[in-house]
Amino acid sequence: MPETLLEVEDLHTVFATKDGNVKAVDGVSFHLDAGETLGIVGESGCGKSVTALSVMRLQRPGKIVSGKVMFKGRDLTKISEGEMRDVRGQEIAMIFQDPMTSLNPVFRTGWQVGEPLRLHRGVDSVRALAGAVTMLGRVGIPSPAERAKNYPHQFSGGMRQRAMIAMGLTTTPQVLIADEPTTALDVTIQAQILDVLRSVNREFGTATILITHNLGVVAGMCERTMVMYAGKVVESGPTADVFAHPKHPYTWSLLRSIPRLDAERHEPLKPIEGLPPNLIELPKGCAFHPRCPFKIERCSRDTPVLNRIGETQMAACWVTQAGTELKERA
Amino acid sequence: MIHPGQGQAVEREQAAPPFEGDAQRPAQSYWNESWERLRANRMGIVAGSLIVVLAAIAIAAPLFTQFLTHFEPFRLDLDHTFQPPGQPHLLGTDELGRDTLTRLIYGGRVTLGVAFLTVALSLSLGTTVGLVAGYYGRWVDDLLMRFVDVVLAFPAIFLFILMSILFRPTPITLAAIIASVGWGGVARLVRGEVLSVKQRDFILATRSIGARDVRLIVRHLLPNVLPVLIVAASLGVGQIILIEAALDFLGLGIQPPTASWGNMLTNSESYFFHSTWLVYFPGITIFVTVLAANLFGNAVRDAFDPRLK
Repeated sequence: MPETLLEVEDLHTVFATKDGNVKAVDGVSFHLDAGETLGIVGESGCGKSVTALSVMRLQRPGKIVSGKVMFKGRDLTKISEGEMRDVRGQEIAMIFQDPMTSLNPVFRTGWQVGEPLRLHRGVDSVRALAGAVTMLGRVGIPSPAERAKNYPHQFSGGMRQRAMIAMGLTTTPQVLIADEPTTALDVTIQAQILDVLRSVNREFGTATILITHNLGVVAGMCERTMVMYAGKVVESGPTADVFAHPKHPYTWSLLRSIPRLDAERHEPLKPIEGLPPNLIELPKGCAFHPRCPFKIERCSRDTPVLNRIGETQMAACWVTQAGTELKERA
Repeated sequence: MIHPGQGQAVEREQAAPPFEGDAQRPAQSYWNESWERLRANRMGIVAGSLIVVLAAIAIAAPLFTQFLTHFEPFRLDLDHTFQPPGQPHLLGTDELGRDTLTRLIYGGRVTLGVAFLTVALSLSLGTTVGLVAGYYGRWVDDLLMRFVDVVLAFPAIFLFILMSILFRPTPITLAAIIASVGWGGVARLVRGEVLSVKQRDFILATRSIGARDVRLIVRHLLPNVLPVLIVAASLGVGQIILIEAALDFLGLGIQPPTASWGNMLTNSESYFFHSTWLVYFPGITIFVTVLAANLFGNAVRDAFDPRLK
């Protein structure tokens, strides 16, 4: 049994707006083991990013109203801001969706990549730069010593994302949170960045949380997958099982909506009907029921909780908890 | 999905112009580029040089008066009042026989000194307030910006009158008085810029590596708002020279016998009909200086403002 690094329990994060409280993260629980890769998938606005930001306590202006984030025996929601800064720089690193804006345009890349070393290791700028150059090389940037002198605008999107990964890794954190790291990149570069993340996971043993809406990315990268909908975890389990036998209609619909190589010719893609719910006023019962092709009467009445279904998976669904198989209807 | 090896990946990225920066090309920072653009603007360079020359003359005023004009700024010579331009008074003398050129040079010390000091003061205060308000947002922002609104809504001329009664106007108090009104605009400008810069992911990314607020503000936000500040500073100089001259002219600024370009005009209006040079020379000096400051300010804006690229 691998050691559990990070354990999130019943996390609630809300954003106060003039129309009411947006429950962006609504009772999310999950854990991350040392060295593993966990995928978090879901549509835009389902709370994936806010979950990750809440772990880092960067969810401002949102507020963590309850729940725990246990990391190495400490609850990250309780520790002081100063302690949290040390966690951020050294133990949990995060990379963001848009590499075009995640580097400061006025500084040389090497200077920025070495910043965690200067901040947390008290290293002088010469040694920080040396560390940055080493790390830039490790993430596959050619002639890193030369490149470190470049400004971000001289880097391509893919190289900037590599630089961001390098910056996160200079202090060898145990957890790397990648928030849609490939969404803003074109497809060939996406594959390269995923490759870098995979080799980081292998070589440094960094546990990775990969947030994406791209199911293909999850399938290729993650041992375990967690599916989120409207601020809640609706399904989780080993990636292979979740993909082969989804236990939540939302997962099932997501999988059905992507193109497949083995599909019949001219078979149309099947979108999920409807829109994600308004997070201020969630529908009563299961948040997915208005869009769910399998809904039963109970779904609009009671909110389902995450329960074990089968050997390895968990799902929050009355239909599958009652033993019904999710199958295409003729 | 295709998973190319690391080696292949590297080759492919290198072979994909134009998104790849050319490693052979020397790193061009934003500052280098802006500087190049400024240097290419001939009018701006001429105007800027003129300001520098005027400032140099003002700083070296004693040398000039000793070796060029041979007069003291305060020395009365009642035998030679209202001398027209010529020898030995190159630009004539005033009603007390003081040498106009000498007083213009010394007046430049005061006027330019006040202008630069005012710019420095209002920029420091305005930048600090703007950075803090923009970065922290919410009630901090509301509080500071409403205060700025109050400052900007205050009828400046009455404030100047009141202040010049309360404090004897010296170059330093005068600069403080003008800056106490001028910083509000800078604070708004900076806050607006911060609001847009802080939306960018690098601010979040920097927080995600555990940087403190102070570091974020000073090391990451400030350099990103510097272009706006440089533009504001260079455009502000001309405006402040005009305000200062107007205050002096109204008798609210620098008091005689200390010479300033503005108060040289105060006295001369009475003698305009028989001694026009007493109006022309300070007037032209102010005009040329403000024009140069504005032209230079425009050139700086064209070169540095990221939005005009």
